[in-house]
Amino acid sequence: MIAAAFLVLALMFVRDVPGRAVRPLAPIPLVDLKFIDPAPNRVSIGENLLHGGDASDYDCYVCHERNKPVKLNIDTNGNIIVPSEHKDIVMAHGSHNRNNNCFNCHDENNLDQLQTRDGRVLKLTDLSPASTPQLCGSCHGPTLRDWEAGVHGRTSGYWDRALGSYARLSCVSCHNPHSPKFQGRPPAPGPHPLHPVARVAVESGRTE
Amino acid sequence: MPEPKTPCSCSSNGNMNRRSFLRTSGVLATGIAALAASLSPLRELTDYTSAEQFMQKHYKELSKDDMEKVLARITREVEKQYQVRPHVRDYKPLDGVEFVYCLNLTRCIGCRKCVHACVAENNQSREPEIQYIRVLKMPHGSLDMEKGDHNYSPEKVPEKGFFYMPVQCQQCRNAPCVKVCPTKATWTEPDGITVIDYDWCIGCRYCEAACPYFARRFNWTKPKIPKDRLNPNMSYLGNRPRKQGVMEKCHFCIQRTRAGRYPACLEVCPAGARKFGNILDPESEVSYIMRNKRVFIQLKEELGTSPRFFYYFDV
Repeated sequence: MIAAAFLVLALMFVRDVPGRAVRPLAPIPLVDLKFIDPAPNRVSIGENLLHGGDASDYDCYVCHERNKPVKLNIDTNGNIIVPSEHKDIVMAHGSHNRNNNCFNCHDENNLDQLQTRDGRVLKLTDLSPASTPQLCGSCHGPTLRDWEAGVHGRTSGYWDRALGSYARLSCVSCHNPHSPKFQGRPPAPGPHPLHPVARVAVESGRTE
Repeated sequence: MPEPKTPCSCSSNGNMNRRSFLRTSGVLATGIAALAASLSPLRELTDYTSAEQFMQKHYKELSKDDMEKVLARITREVEKQYQVRPHVRDYKPLDGVEFVYCLNLTRCIGCRKCVHACVAENNQSREPEIQYIRVLKMPHGSLDMEKGDHNYSPEKVPEKGFFYMPVQCQQCRNAPCVKVCPTKATWTEPDGITVIDYDWCIGCRYCEAACPYFARRFNWTKPKIPKDRLNPNMSYLGNRPRKQGVMEKCHFCIQRTRAGRYPACLEVCPAGARKFGNILDPESEVSYIMRNKRVFIQLKEELGTSPRFFYYFDV
């Protein structure tokens, strides 16, 4: 009986003598350069126009007629009906339909312009701090205050203003004004553990 | 038939017959082969420490001339290894500056761009992989680090019900890693950055064990960096290529921040969640955050390490 038990133990020992085969690990791929690109989320219309981008879509009076008021269509739920000519616009600014009127921001008298709630008129192509941030800030006061202090949104360049210049992004460089909430995006690849067994476990867990 | 008697037929008198010669030479050959096999790793040791580097003084004892020689040596070594001519400098701390980092947990979306921008800027090894920043995915309503997951890989981030917490070197005022270093190869500079002299580190990894934030990384093997991804803007205490057997960690991009620029992780953040600056300047962004935001923790505050890295919320 005891001899048999020892025999089994001996067999188990012998069976594992070569050890588990170590699978050669695939090399870690170099990260895609898009994940280290500091370019902001989007290119706003104003930036596109200023830097000589395609402006053909943005001349309102190619289609609209001057001095003729634009009529807005609102459905029974209070949602604005976006006309098919503007179907690239997703109206998702604010919840509970609180911001469903185009002319909360656009100027109904001159569609090339924007207007703040207190009646100031701004140019679409004006990217200075006196422009879009003021429009957005006429509702989002605390955020504008943070932005002016350099705390909301990204500032790049030099923290030491004596040594170099800095650049602050405008609201629309990150947020789409019609649906300002950040969209989900694929994350950059996660860490590869040092230990081969842990690495295999993590990598196989990821593909599942 | 009697064997012809030769003078060396008898082993007892110290002479050698055919059998004992074969036996002895067999043992000798095996022994030499074993010795050669055991020494063979030495043949692969090409980037051995030069005499110049071995005789080098501690960073704080280097004179200006010494430092120039050291930087020239590093330039030479990097150029030989990577065929890229680097610009190596020794950046000194700026007067009246203490660096502080603030990270907005409301804004971080967990995209991990900071991790990879850091690797690209600071010349970390790509294989095996060394990264200074770990992004933890944490469930809402908890700050229990044990619930953090750093291997998340969903289709899209951010995921509902979670927030993301990037952790890197916290640049403590009361740094445990500095206390345990037996060779004084790591210390805190006047501007608040805890640095490592890679030429004085002996690789004992005491600091790695002492750090409560998992901020320090060890080069178990020779680091591998593709030539075309090497950042040639280097500093002595910062991102110059490391060798096998030394520690490394986040140093607030010393080669950028001491030249007045923002760190690489900040400049790549698509959410603007990262803020950096001089806390001694009341006009700086970090001072504004300290005054006006809900700056809730220094991570693992109860340990008394007093980090210079703060996490905060909007509103």
